[in-house]
Amino acid sequence: MGIDVGKFLKNPEYEIKITTFRDIFQVEAQERDRFGKDYEKLSACIVMSKNDMEKMGLKPGDRVKVANNNGSIVVEVRESKRDEPGGVAFMVNSPWSNVLVSDDTGGKGLPDFKNITAKISLVKEEITSLESLMEYFRKLKQV
Amino acid sequence: MSTCPGCALLCDDIEVVVESGRIKETRNACRRGAARIKGCINRLAPTIDQKPSDIESAIKKAAGILKDSKSPMLFGFSNSTCEAQVKGIQLAKKLGAMIDDTSSFCQGLLIEKILQKKFRTCTLEDVRNKADVLVYWGSDAQDSQPRHLSRFSYFPRGESRQRGYEEDRIAIAIDVRESNTAKICKGHFYRIQPKGDREFILALIDALSGKVPAYEPKKILELAAILKKAEFGVIFVGIGLTYSIKEDFDILVSLADKLPNFQIMPMVGHYNMRGFNENLFKETGFVNRVRFHDTAVHDDKYSIIEALREKSIDALLVAGSDPLSSLTRSLIRHLASIPVICIDPCVTMTSKIAAVTIPCAVSGVESGGTAVRMDGKKIGLSKIIESDYLTDEELLVRLMGAL
Ligand code: SF4
Repeated sequence: MGIDVGKFLKNPEYEIKITTFRDIFQVEAQERDRFGKDYEKLSACIVMSKNDMEKMGLKPGDRVKVANNNGSIVVEVRESKRDEPGGVAFMVNSPWSNVLVSDDTGGKGLPDFKNITAKISLVKEEITSLESLMEYFRKLKQV
Repeated sequence: MSTCPGCALLCDDIEVVVESGRIKETRNACRRGAARIKGCINRLAPTIDQKPSDIESAIKKAAGILKDSKSPMLFGFSNSTCEAQVKGIQLAKKLGAMIDDTSSFCQGLLIEKILQKKFRTCTLEDVRNKADVLVYWGSDAQDSQPRHLSRFSYFPRGESRQRGYEEDRIAIAIDVRESNTAKICKGHFYRIQPKGDREFILALIDALSGKVPAYEPKKILELAAILKKAEFGVIFVGIGLTYSIKEDFDILVSLADKLPNFQIMPMVGHYNMRGFNENLFKETGFVNRVRFHDTAVHDDKYSIIEALREKSIDALLVAGSDPLSSLTRSLIRHLASIPVICIDPCVTMTSKIAAVTIPCAVSGVESGGTAVRMDGKKIGLSKIIESDYLTDEELLVRLMGAL
């Protein structure tokens, strides 16, 4: 039996710029139940142009790890329904996108919430749940 | 008719069908507003150290935490009535505490300049009656203030705009993303790169000054021509623009100077963020980031962001806000190491790690009061249904009493 080399190969990583936006359906879900599945589904995703997805070998529904020095999350890829030129991906403003935002404010009290650079790669891991984000804080509390 | 506390548009034409003391249906409200009025499914309960308690004990415990604190901060208030905000400011004064609100990392910079009269501004009724050129800049009203275009700006008829969007009004979107608002601004969507607003403003200033702009000259000159022809133009400044030019806000003042027929309006999300800014401004001359000593001192280090970064607070009272959800993860580490008091109608991420939780009524649904619309107009809030929950105003008064 041959060795499955693919198993040991890391999926390629691509650098990506991300900006955040607001989505009325996500806001509605948050008002109703911020711990519910709808809020999670509408938040834990990244919207990309068809071009960028093709370049990175991603399909709608794929799970990707989006990571930088500030943190790392796993979210679902969605294809933008718009005619995007590419180069920038979009995430709904949420606790998930906030994991990736730098706290470098130059002392001015305003982080760059809408200007994120991260690495993106295809993964098989589960989508980061709100519960796991909460778990992170609970652990901090125990330290 | 009731007022919707869903966003700072404070729509006052909402019909609510109440059956047996419960909200059955809303009419006229958008999705966001209907969801706010119908309420969350997880109501907060009083707790101490995450264990069930009662309101009185929770208030006593909260007062104890604040009394023991050498450097407390009060934060939130954008979802509170003006009456509760005034009490919050009084409490901060009494404690010698820092006080800050969500505008600190939202539209505070812009609202401060508006209150200082650095920009011409107008009411939403002026927009409806007079505006012919509407510029949504870094603002997706359709998703954030969903009835903005239909109640006030693009679609309605107005005194001097009988033919609304069909003939009398032009809507323009300048954004990084082709938002739902940009989709409506057909043919007038200007896409910019993230952080590209500064370059765009400078090019536009050049074009308005009769120079050929260095950046996308054809598009910028075409836009400048539309803006110059406006009889009553409005730039709706969204959070996208504010974040992008935060270090250099005066370039927006320079642009406004070049556009004498234009007004500037902040696009505010939380229903009474502007109310907090106005109330604190009236008391101290500043819109946020204040510490009360003998006098009120304003400094960036009194912003919630810097206070958490510098670990300069040792207790935090949060009213109607969820910093655990809305701040960056790297910043909230300090939150885990200090006692947090959370006053909110609903369970939030912050309430789940709070030392004390105190439930309150949903303002504008279970209690009335006043709030300030995004354009500065005071609007009355309605009590739509009865509830046993105390208002955040009453809770803050009791907390002050317990000190
Ligand atoms: S636009 Fe804002 S105030 Fe009006 S109904 Fe929607 S959420 Fe409520």
